[in-house]
Amino acid sequence: MNAILVLTRSLLRQTIRNRQGLFWTLFFPLVLMFVFSFLGNSQSRVNLAVVSPRGQSAAVMKVFQRSPLFHVTKMSRRQALQEVQRGQIDAALLVPLAAADHTTTLTLRYNNANAVSAGQVVGSVEAFVAQADIALSGRPPLFRVAAQAMTHSHSSTYLDFLLPGILALMTMQNSLFGIGAGLTRWKEQGVLRRFRATPVKPVQLLAATIVNYMVVGLASAAIVIGFSTTILHASVSVPLGPILLVLLLGMASFLSIGFIVAGLSKSQEATIPIINLISFPMMFLSGVFFPVSSLPRILAHIVQYFPLTYVADALRGLMSGQLTLGASAFRTDIIGLVVWIVVTGLIASRAWRWE
Amino acid sequence: MQKTLRLENVTKRYGAMTAVDHLTLTVPSGIVFGLLGPNGAGKTTTLEMVEGLRRPDDGRVWWGELDVVRHPDEARSQFGVQLQSSAFFELLTVKETLELFHSFYRRRLAVSDLISRLGLEEKQNARVGGLSGGQRQRLALAAALINDPEVVFLDEPSAGLDPQARRNLWDVILGLKAEGRTVVLTTHYMEEAEVLADRLAIIDHGRVLDEGTPRELIQRHMPASVVEVSRSVGINSTVDLPAVRRMEERDEVTTLVSDRLEDTLVGLVNWAQREGRAITGLTTRNATLEDVFLELTGRSLRE
Ligand SMILES: Nc1ncnc2c1ncn2[C@@H]1O[C@H](COP(=O)(O)OP(=O)(O)OP(=O)(O)O)[C@@H](O)[C@H]1O
Ligand SMILES: [Mg+2]
Repeated sequence: MNAILVLTRSLLRQTIRNRQGLFWTLFFPLVLMFVFSFLGNSQSRVNLAVVSPRGQSAAVMKVFQRSPLFHVTKMSRRQALQEVQRGQIDAALLVPLAAADHTTTLTLRYNNANAVSAGQVVGSVEAFVAQADIALSGRPPLFRVAAQAMTHSHSSTYLDFLLPGILALMTMQNSLFGIGAGLTRWKEQGVLRRFRATPVKPVQLLAATIVNYMVVGLASAAIVIGFSTTILHASVSVPLGPILLVLLLGMASFLSIGFIVAGLSKSQEATIPIINLISFPMMFLSGVFFPVSSLPRILAHIVQYFPLTYVADALRGLMSGQLTLGASAFRTDIIGLVVWIVVTGLIASRAWRWE
Repeated sequence: MQKTLRLENVTKRYGAMTAVDHLTLTVPSGIVFGLLGPNGAGKTTTLEMVEGLRRPDDGRVWWGELDVVRHPDEARSQFGVQLQSSAFFELLTVKETLELFHSFYRRRLAVSDLISRLGLEEKQNARVGGLSGGQRQRLALAAALINDPEVVFLDEPSAGLDPQARRNLWDVILGLKAEGRTVVLTTHYMEEAEVLADRLAIIDHGRVLDEGTPRELIQRHMPASVVEVSRSVGINSTVDLPAVRRMEERDEVTTLVSDRLEDTLVGLVNWAQREGRAITGLTTRNATLEDVFLELTGRSLRE
């Protein structure tokens, strides 16, 4: 028992003193989150230029400014049209001189290079104008839409979508590269041979290694969550217990995959490409950066069984508030991970070679 | 407790190659036992089978009553081991490394005692990655002693050490013997074997060629004397000198192994006068282990 404690302490020291390793563990996730936080903000509001005759602009501006959907700027017609064309703003609203008693036509000029965002822009301006119209006319509306989100979550930005994905990705990278590359390096250097000449048991070494990577994994997850929520204002819920469960199961499955690779290969040169081969497809397909549902049907069908998909799915569900411990979708993810752990664990225990 | 180490027909094959071939040895308790052999002779393989690191394909190893092949775990907890190429965690300090190994054993020595014994006080808080080759060797030796072992296996402990460090190491090893421990070591240095080893086994191609005290080995294979002259004197195999058993030309020196020193020297002088040559660089000496080694293996120890 004492051996495991001292081993764990030694490994943690080794990890903490490896400044470069720590830096790269955190650098990419933080930078990714930071970069995408800008993207997320600019997408959430429609950038609208208002072009209106003197005297009327203030009133029109005020109406739009009150809405959280728009970011409005007053511009000259010329400038507004130019910026729309260049894609710097989403649309320009041209307001004519008010006519007394017939319908005023508000012209919306938008850039249709991106069909999705163009549709959003037109839709939201139309809806907004209709609403404003009714309100101004003083008549009670015949219909009202009571929009009720199916989930408890607030409207989510891409950042909120990305955060659980990045956490899942980190879980995979830390564990796969940590144990895969770390153990092969020790093997190559002869560190493991020296341990073999002592009574320390492989399970003790393994236990200490697992604890080491789990501590590192949880700490870096905490840092990334903290950074994203406090500084980048990602709005996600963080149910600690369930998230911990998913992170630990995820790490366990990637650690045993890494262990298989480290067990089979003799050198770093052999390990790294194999790990890349395993991690790359998952990194792009498993719903880290975009939802699995956007993949072609057949591919999505396969990808749903990837361990990273289970982790990303479960984390996203928990953080967006869509899944709770009892949800059957959550249970599927957990069971999927447990199956991975059992299967890869069995293979790992067979595949392990000390030299 | 007086335990002997016994190897019986220990064999290890790598594919078609037999690295260790039915090797049988007995190492009495409390002595320094040297394994001598050229590169690839099978010394490391033999040691690692004894240490329980590699499983022999055939044969048994006994440490006292303990069957090492069957109970490698028990053997490992009793043995002190320095591997030919072992590494430690680069980012831990010397002290932390020894504390780590300390935690693996039930019976053990204090880390601070070992640090001072091997003269590592100044380096105890230095990272392993920054140690010199000699300091690493000392750390490896300290780690080998942490469990207060009755038997210590050292695979080329003096490799890469400067002469001063080598002498310090010899003192440590002789100190281990004085404490009643058994030491089994491999070396390429004849002088080291002569200074340290009470008994020696000369190994080549995985077999013991001969075994005994250094004096016995010399007596048995080289009761002769050795005459050396400069190669420029021009003696070669066409020159017939009396009582010369073997002749060898290497680098700048011609070596003559003589069964009767007087006869060879008289013959040499007569030949030189007859041919009108000057004899330069003449020395005579008793045969050494190096000569025994050459006689038995046909190879020099370090080539
Ligand atoms: N793991 C292995 N696989 C295949 N061959 C091996 C292996 N280990 C050793 N050998 C071979 O077995 C033979 C004996 O090697 P060993 O390391 O025991 O020699 P050694 O006497 O210790 O040599 P040195 O003085 O160079 O350390 C060599 O020919 C070596 O190539
Ligand atoms: Mg060797």
